[in-house]
Amino acid sequence: MPIPILKLHNYLLVSIQTEIDDKTAIKFQENLLDKIYKTGASGVVIDLTSVEIIDSFIAKVLGDVVAMSDLMGAKVVLTGIQPAVAMTLIDLGIHMQNIPTALDLEQGLIKLHQELGE
Amino acid sequence: MEPQTSCVTIQKEWDIVGARHVARDMARSLGFSTVDQARIATAVSELARNIYLYAKKGQIYFDIIDSVDRKGMNIKVIDSGPGIEDIGEVMQDGFSTSGGLGAGLPGVKRLMDEFDIESEKGVGTVIYVKKWVR
Amino acid sequence: MNSKFEGIVLENSEKIVEMWLEEIGTLRKENRTESISIDLYESTNREFVDVIFTSIKSHGSTNAVEEFSEKIINLGWPLSYITDGLQVFRRVTIDFILRQSERVDTEYISNVLSSVDEWVEPIIRILVNDYSGNWEHIVSLQRVALQELSAPLIPVIDGITIMPLVGTVDTDRAKLIMESLLQGVITHNSEVVLIDITGVPVVDTMVAHHLIQAAEAVRLIGAKCILVGIRPEIAQTIVNLGINLTDFPTKSTLKKGFLTALEITNRKVVNVKSSENDIEKLIESIQGE
Repeated sequence: MPIPILKLHNYLLVSIQTEIDDKTAIKFQENLLDKIYKTGASGVVIDLTSVEIIDSFIAKVLGDVVAMSDLMGAKVVLTGIQPAVAMTLIDLGIHMQNIPTALDLEQGLIKLHQELGE
Repeated sequence: MEPQTSCVTIQKEWDIVGARHVARDMARSLGFSTVDQARIATAVSELARNIYLYAKKGQIYFDIIDSVDRKGMNIKVIDSGPGIEDIGEVMQDGFSTSGGLGAGLPGVKRLMDEFDIESEKGVGTVIYVKKWVR
Repeated sequence: MNSKFEGIVLENSEKIVEMWLEEIGTLRKENRTESISIDLYESTNREFVDVIFTSIKSHGSTNAVEEFSEKIINLGWPLSYITDGLQVFRRVTIDFILRQSERVDTEYISNVLSSVDEWVEPIIRILVNDYSGNWEHIVSLQRVALQELSAPLIPVIDGITIMPLVGTVDTDRAKLIMESLLQGVITHNSEVVLIDITGVPVVDTMVAHHLIQAAEAVRLIGAKCILVGIRPEIAQTIVNLGINLTDFPTKSTLKKGFLTALEITNRKVVNVKSSENDIEKLIESIQGE
């Protein structure tokens, strides 16, 4: 099942609710870029509250999607990363240094709003 | 508790997700904290992906260690893939032959408490990892 | 054989007790019981030897021994008192039995030894187990108490949380700190967390590494981390060790860090009333009358 991407004004909202396997992740990357292109969205919030595991592959896909969206002029904020997931990522040595993060969807939208100066 | 074992065969991409589930369920039933459950599941995910990417087919065995003084989980990963030529090289951070993040094996080592690897070129690779309940 | 020796010992219990009491009396210095009053020492000795004989009579019934061990542990007597006491009993008894018989050969001696050991061993096992069990219990209680102290989290105002760290940070504690830090950020919905290391005596590469990891994990879940309480000597070691903390905002004191945290959350501290204004107003009102 593809991950739904919702549009709100000029933002896109994504909430990842299911266990993601590699194919779904790649498919999601394509779909999101496609949607950014079609809608001309200027910001994206990807909410990871219900994601229990992020391994190096999913982390790479997420990191790539942020960089790619940036190239297309859409700022991405990752929200709701669980403590357990954050610690696992640190242990793995994945720091996602240049990726903006926020506590939850609401904070994410506020952050986008501030950074885009709208 | 009777010693329990389960085995997952990795052959398809979806098997990676299956292995993660088995790891997490077993870790939860053993009383690992949420964080350690995530650590174990993530380590298994990395190991399963290595099989899928490099060896195409392999098995992951999960064992419960229940001794007098401590409990833990023992995981053995076996494949009959191409083997690893230079183990020192793959244990370095940032080394990757697949274009990934290169966090694979050294990351797994950090996620778990014990890590051991044996590999022979053309024969295959066996990786043993352990995690103790804190 | 065993029952024969048992007979000898029980019949002559008074003599053996006397010999035992005499020897144990000389051991007061060595087994760290000098602080105990002579009366109590002697009455406990009596009780101890009674317990030994009860145990022999009842062929290994443990009730009396358990009661005695509980009592003596509660009184805080050293374990060496118990082990010395049983050693002395063993020596005295063997000596006594051997002296009772005319015919003494190797087999006989070995029989005597094994019988006496059979009496003493269960007692020593119970007492040592009870003692070590008691110690383990204390250690585990202290560990829990230490854990509760090790990573406290104080939500000061909405969005700002402080974690004061006191004492040495090792790998286990660092993990605990990270877990409770991240969990705290989620429960208190904090935008900024301040880690105060004023009470951490040494910041070496390992501690710094753990702190950096904690800060990075905090950033991943969407909050900011400020390290405060950097004393001059800590700043020196950090730079001398070549630790890179540039990605990580730091402040010398908790006060400065808190002001920065307020800035990040778009707030500032304002005096509700200015005292100067009050006086001016007072003067004005007086003049107006």
